[in-house]
Amino acid sequence: MEIEIRGLRKVYPGGVVALEGLDLTIPPGVFALLGPNGSGKTTLMRILATLLEPTAGEAYVAGHDVRREKGAIREMLGYMPQEFGFYPSLTAYETLDYFGLLCRMNDPKERRSRIEQSLANVNLGEYAGRKVSTFSGGMKQRLGIAQALLNDPRVLIVDEPTSGLDPEERIRLRNLLVELAGGRVVILSTHIVSDVAVTSEGMAILHQGRLRFSGKPAELLGRLEGRTWIIDIEEEELSRVREELFVTGVFRSATGMQVRVIEDEMSHPGGYQTAPTLDDAYVAAMNQEVGSVGMG
Amino acid sequence: MGWAEVRAAAIIVRREYQLACRAPAFWAVAALGALVAVWRASTGGTTAALGAYQAWQMVTYGVGALAILLAGAAAARDRQRGATELVLAKSGGSSGGLVAARFVGTWLSMLSIAAIVFAASSLGQAVLGGTPWRLGPYAAGLVRTAAPIALATALGFSLASLLTTPLAAGVAAIYWIVVPLGRSYLPTALDLTLTQHWREAALLAAGLVALAACLHARAIRGERERRAIGGWLSVLLLAGAGLSVLRTVHRGEDGLVNADPVLWAMASQTAIDGRQAPGFWLRDGEGRLVDLDQHRGRPVVLAFWGPASRGSVRALSVLGELAREHGEEGPACIAVCLDRDAGAMEGFAREAGPEVTVAWDRGRHFGVGMEWADSPVAVSYDVPAVPTVFFLDGERRLVERWRGEERLDGVAWRVARLLEGR
Repeated sequence: MEIEIRGLRKVYPGGVVALEGLDLTIPPGVFALLGPNGSGKTTLMRILATLLEPTAGEAYVAGHDVRREKGAIREMLGYMPQEFGFYPSLTAYETLDYFGLLCRMNDPKERRSRIEQSLANVNLGEYAGRKVSTFSGGMKQRLGIAQALLNDPRVLIVDEPTSGLDPEERIRLRNLLVELAGGRVVILSTHIVSDVAVTSEGMAILHQGRLRFSGKPAELLGRLEGRTWIIDIEEEELSRVREELFVTGVFRSATGMQVRVIEDEMSHPGGYQTAPTLDDAYVAAMNQEVGSVGMG
Repeated sequence: MGWAEVRAAAIIVRREYQLACRAPAFWAVAALGALVAVWRASTGGTTAALGAYQAWQMVTYGVGALAILLAGAAAARDRQRGATELVLAKSGGSSGGLVAARFVGTWLSMLSIAAIVFAASSLGQAVLGGTPWRLGPYAAGLVRTAAPIALATALGFSLASLLTTPLAAGVAAIYWIVVPLGRSYLPTALDLTLTQHWREAALLAAGLVALAACLHARAIRGERERRAIGGWLSVLLLAGAGLSVLRTVHRGEDGLVNADPVLWAMASQTAIDGRQAPGFWLRDGEGRLVDLDQHRGRPVVLAFWGPASRGSVRALSVLGELAREHGEEGPACIAVCLDRDAGAMEGFAREAGPEVTVAWDRGRHFGVGMEWADSPVAVSYDVPAVPTVFFLDGERRLVERWRGEERLDGVAWRVARLLEGR
């Protein structure tokens, strides 16, 4: 089971182009959509969740057309939007009970079983009777995942699940998504590169509605193999280095400053090669059009 | 709209209803209303059916408007925090439909308050020996008025919540302005619209404007064009409501008597000897309210007559003589005219003299097959023919009923006994 996207285009009223000719295949496993704010990640996810109609192009979720087979897609889909709210006066259990009914879980026993399982999956079992208004941000995010898991979806779409969470909650949520991926397509959008490095088997980078890269993180890293350098510099050299080289990161060291750069060959004295990171690759991909580094 | 959307809407309505009923404010309003109802019943201020009507009024005029504002605020809040996304991802449909479903749920919770108040009123009446009531006519009347009001309100509400499209603004404006004006020419087809209830219309319009302001401030802030559309729509809504009110006032209609629920409420009462007599709110020839409760503490002679029946007209002179003979110490004399034409009543009323209160029992669009199809009070008193005279004691209990012209000569004798407490 996979998701096929062909020539997808979305233009909002007012002429804002959110997606432009997107071609993408998303295989089972955790798949990350990476890109800055406004790159079209949320638009793509909302189209796949049947909440938004594309302007042109096609998208199929497990063979079902997002335009014509919305009901079938919803039955196999779990969706957690970037921004969402719950009824604060309901308990976690009541919240899921409500969403369970909306998911056509008419059998009370089955619904109860699914709710308990979903809450257990996100480690909220012991808080089932607590009102949502008392939940922390991380607990609400996990409850958001729980509601998305209610119908045991084959496709799970989570939009920026880790934003705004403290480090511990972020790691917990990341691990949870990896655990849930078995046999499912889990699409995760984020602008936090380290989330992708840890969780994802596949990834795509979007920039201004266009696809910059799609493939495995290792493939992206492979394109920078032998081209990533670290240079020790004095602080006053930084602006000159920035002008001359493609800098992906700047750090302070005991002796001055270190910069990470991507160049085919290193002409600067004192530079030495290092292994590329996803941060390097992401910055390089984002700057494709400004020209220092081509990602192909 | 497919079956899945309808089903989801029903779930959302149910959940909204449950949430609203869970709020402390719900129980506070219900408890207060119930206390007032019991108090009214214990002081004999109303009968169960008219108490129900008052509860209905409370819901439509007061709490209904509150429901609109509450649901509107909730919808705006949800839109702001993205709560609709989760629901729509599961249920499908549109955000407008979701808002409408939420409104209906809130509205139903408000109707529940009316039901609680009504139950309290009925209980008070039953315990204190008040007038029993028949559910059939009253329920039919409520359904007849509640359904279109709820639907029209939900429609207006959802349109106001969707001010982001000029089309919705246009439709809302057409509804609120064209329908009140067009009703003059299409009375039957549009009789089930909200516009026959001008007070609701005015309140609803104000609520919609408040909603629009709320939505503008929160949800579509910064979009000048849409705000302008919303602003003009608000003006149009108010103008529509104002026109509706002016038109009703200009035509001299009175909401109390002409509004359907009160007719059905009056008709749903049952006159039983020894129990409290059915209450009524009628008008005299000059438009003044005639309320049976105004005469509490005095015996009442209540005569039903009609201009078309020469024999029954004599009841007026009998009541006039009685009133002049006993003065303030005697019974209150009320002559209820059963006729479609109020004009025919006035000449006879002058002959009866100012001591007799002559009221006009004219209903409208009343039940088919009832003997006095246009006269709900006659229905509640089970008047088979004119004249019929009812004798009520100072506690408003029904002592006796006399039917037929031949018994008019004995009315003075019966009143003398009534004044002796027999």
